[in-house]
Amino acid sequence: MKKILALILSMAMVLSLLTACGSSSSSSTSDSSTTTDSSAASDSDDDSGDSFVMDEPEGEYTDLTVWTFNELHQEFYIDMAEKWNEENPDKQVRLTLMNMDYDAMHNKLSIALESGTGAPDVVDIEIGKFPSFINGASIDLYDLSDAIEPYLDEIVETRLDIYSKDGSVYGYPTHVGTTVAFYNVELLEEAGIDYESIETWDDWKEAGVAYYEATGKQFSNLETTAQWVVNLMLVQKGGSYLDEDGNPNLTSDELTEVLNFLVECQDTGAFSPMPGGQPDSDEAYASFNQGDYACQIMPFWQTSRFTNYMTDLSGKVAIATVPRLSTSDTTPWTIGGGGTGTAIVASSENAELAAEVFAYIKLSSEASVEIWSVLGFDPVNTAIWTDTEITENPDNAFVQYFVNSPFYALNEMADSIGALSDQTSAYWSDITNEISTVTLEEIFENGTSVEDALESSQDTVMTYVS
Amino acid sequence: MKSEKTSNLIQSILIHIVLIILALLILLPIYAIFLASFKPGGLLVQYGLNLEIDFSVMSFDNYKLLFSGTSDYWIWFRNSLIITAISVVCTLAVSAFVAYGFAAYEFKFKQAAFLIVLLILSVPFEVIMLPLYKQMTNWGLMDSYVAIVLPFVAHASTIFFFRQYLLGMPIELIESGRIDGANEYSIFLRLIVPIMKPAFAAMAILNGMNAWNNYLWPLLVISSNSKYTLTLGLNTLLSPYGNNYSLLLVGSFFSIVPIFILFVCFQKYFIEGMTAGAVKG
Amino acid sequence: MKTIKKFVYNQKVAPYVFILPFVLSVLLFWVVPIAQGIRLSFFNTLQEEFVGLKNYTKIFSDKIFLKALYHSVRYTIGTLILLLPLPLLFATMLNSKLTSKTAGFFKSIYFIPALTSVVVAGTIFRLMFGELDTSLANQVLNALGGSSIKWLKMDWPSYFILLLLACWRWMGVNILYYLAGLQSIPADLYEAASIDGATKLQQFTHISIPLVQPTTVYVMTISIYAGLSMYVESSMLWTGNNSPMNIGLTIVGYLYRQGIEKRNMGYACAVGMILLIIVMVINILQLIANGTIKVGKKEG
Repeated sequence: MKKILALILSMAMVLSLLTACGSSSSSSTSDSSTTTDSSAASDSDDDSGDSFVMDEPEGEYTDLTVWTFNELHQEFYIDMAEKWNEENPDKQVRLTLMNMDYDAMHNKLSIALESGTGAPDVVDIEIGKFPSFINGASIDLYDLSDAIEPYLDEIVETRLDIYSKDGSVYGYPTHVGTTVAFYNVELLEEAGIDYESIETWDDWKEAGVAYYEATGKQFSNLETTAQWVVNLMLVQKGGSYLDEDGNPNLTSDELTEVLNFLVECQDTGAFSPMPGGQPDSDEAYASFNQGDYACQIMPFWQTSRFTNYMTDLSGKVAIATVPRLSTSDTTPWTIGGGGTGTAIVASSENAELAAEVFAYIKLSSEASVEIWSVLGFDPVNTAIWTDTEITENPDNAFVQYFVNSPFYALNEMADSIGALSDQTSAYWSDITNEISTVTLEEIFENGTSVEDALESSQDTVMTYVS
Repeated sequence: MKSEKTSNLIQSILIHIVLIILALLILLPIYAIFLASFKPGGLLVQYGLNLEIDFSVMSFDNYKLLFSGTSDYWIWFRNSLIITAISVVCTLAVSAFVAYGFAAYEFKFKQAAFLIVLLILSVPFEVIMLPLYKQMTNWGLMDSYVAIVLPFVAHASTIFFFRQYLLGMPIELIESGRIDGANEYSIFLRLIVPIMKPAFAAMAILNGMNAWNNYLWPLLVISSNSKYTLTLGLNTLLSPYGNNYSLLLVGSFFSIVPIFILFVCFQKYFIEGMTAGAVKG
Repeated sequence: MKTIKKFVYNQKVAPYVFILPFVLSVLLFWVVPIAQGIRLSFFNTLQEEFVGLKNYTKIFSDKIFLKALYHSVRYTIGTLILLLPLPLLFATMLNSKLTSKTAGFFKSIYFIPALTSVVVAGTIFRLMFGELDTSLANQVLNALGGSSIKWLKMDWPSYFILLLLACWRWMGVNILYYLAGLQSIPADLYEAASIDGATKLQQFTHISIPLVQPTTVYVMTISIYAGLSMYVESSMLWTGNNSPMNIGLTIVGYLYRQGIEKRNMGYACAVGMILLIIVMVINILQLIANGTIKVGKKEG
């Protein structure tokens, strides 16, 4: 009896699956009709999954495969590739895009390059992972220096440095990721605090104390799983995670001072580590969204997290310049944080073409408009930063969300955007791994003294220096 | 006599209380995900997983999403079914064949060969994973189901299990087969395979579970999304874009259902196979 | 052609034909990769140079590796302590006459978690043990009068969660193994014992435990193996290979970090070889101690 039941059930299951699959694949093609027309779909059976194949361009074209770890990039690439095809009918391309989980994608890329097969033509590499691809004995990525030439005047150059090695550029930046301060204006006004008067870190700390006294709530967070603020302050101080010989040096005076300042902030009671450890995490969105914190200092791309995950705060958040040590500083005011470098695999048959196409897709002024209005990022091409028709377009979701013009703070700091050059070091992943999983956790969660925590981390990191 | 009955009754009640508590604990996470499958994915991100029932936010939207076919869920589901079916059939066939060799014959190097089975049982797959990947690339097997299934068809622990099972088979069976003039292979096919049914059932479930839930190796081997298995696919939903979390919740819940039905149906054989196999050590 | 057929059908040759697939698969999928791994472990693959034993000497001064090793060993021991006696106890209950009617039902329930994939199970546990007040674990804590805990940020709570996850997934499977073991014990042994006046507890310790020893050996072997090579569970709980203070890092996680994330294959292979040696030594010792290897020989 049971046997028969089992048989019937499994048969039914298989049947229902097969039919479900049939219907789902057909409906998914029609659903993504913006990107795949039905004739192209019937040509290849492989256009399911998260992979998109562009419409087949009329006439000659070259196929390029692209790996991404952010679904939003897929649509953007397709839009821009279509524009490229219109303008360059002799050099048309058809993109096949594959989106994967962040870790999975980088790991697969690493293995594919290692073994010499299976790599795509074009790939998005996150900045934290970049050094591991440009510090080996041989570099498997294509040198983009020539392709970048036409755009060089208009883009923030420090954003190329982080994807460069020995004078060659290996990745196209997506955005600047200018670090800015996000203030929950509604909460601050209730506590009688004017965010525009916060200019230095001391102001920031004092505002925190005042806010805490007025409301009993936390003013801002201390990061334990990321280094947005720490990197910013370190660069403002002219410090580095490396010594002159390029070896890890975590016990520098500058880093110690930065962390000690943040510990002082924690001691006031107005600052604490937030759920998720840093503002760019699921728990943190929720926490900020319900008003547990009034300020966060983050790269500009956090805007899209606001519009997507902190919807309750629409019309309540302002974007401001970041505090600095003193208003007369000559060191960079802010830095670019995070980022994704689009790289071309050197062994690709079409590397040269891919380099040219993606320079256009990511760096041209057409691209910049798209990067801002679709993704909400601060484009690397600063030509559009001052074009108010674009930056203050009332139809733009980001313009609608924030209290003030999102580009106001950016333009204030535009001439003083630095970079943390340590990010290209072969030791960077060891350093950042240690700092953002161990050091900050020790200091802010376990109460270890800054000096002890840094010394112990320095020991750990030095294991990897041969 | 009566007192023994009541003491039995009390014992029975106590035992059942313990068993029920364990059952509830085990079902708790399943129940939590079941509840969550009716909630919007965004809530999960904001509040974590809990047992709150709030009808104002609960709906069938996630299920509609799952069955509307806009996602690739059913493609992953089908891929997982295919891989599971192929690897169970291949692994059982090859492993039984090999195990019979070990159980039924005396031959040179048998000890050594069997020792290798035991040694391989203790090689963590992760150790050879990276070199094996390179090898698969050299053979051009990347991104194919062959690469997922092939390394495991002669599966050491399945061979071990079958051999243990076959050690208990009657030798006369083989002898009578030989007297009837059957060759060695048809003895295996006609006489041995039929008596291995319970063992097959047990190993089918265990291997099926492994194949259905296998994650690390397919992650390395498969690169085109159209070939993704359910575990790989669900993992891509872990980023909070769009409806990902909604789909993840309902998809996770749904991925348990089919294999559970199969288990319930074959449970009897499963236990029987286990009893006759592994436990003989 | 005929001679080939005759040769293959020969009773002396047949056994070799039977084990041929196994020999081939061992050579292709185990021996070659292991050899390759051993070779790579003597190289600095990033700089493409031969470094001799340097990778190995580095490993033992590598604090993070030692931490990963500690976590893996700790996890394995934890699973052994929990997942051997408890399943035996529950299996004994299910094997009793008192539960003969309900045993099937419980067995099915207990087995469900094993059917969920690690990806699903890990995600469920991660969300249940979120650090917010509204996550299930913290709700329970709060209801009991405690205050919320950042479960996955602290060493021992996260160890507890990993063990809980392991118990949740494998309890049912181990119960079934033990149940199979118990059912193969002849019932008259218990009858004889109870006629001699042995209590249930005495029957359990003097009959059940010694006679299910083969099952214990088997379960122990797979537990050691699974425990020391645990990785996916941890990567699901922390959505990746990075956990605060590396509290979730295991040997395989470290192998992954070095070999794939940092592209340092040589060092990763050395880590792999250390793991291989540890697991092999433990399992062989264990098999010899329990006489399993000898049993194999006797029957051969």
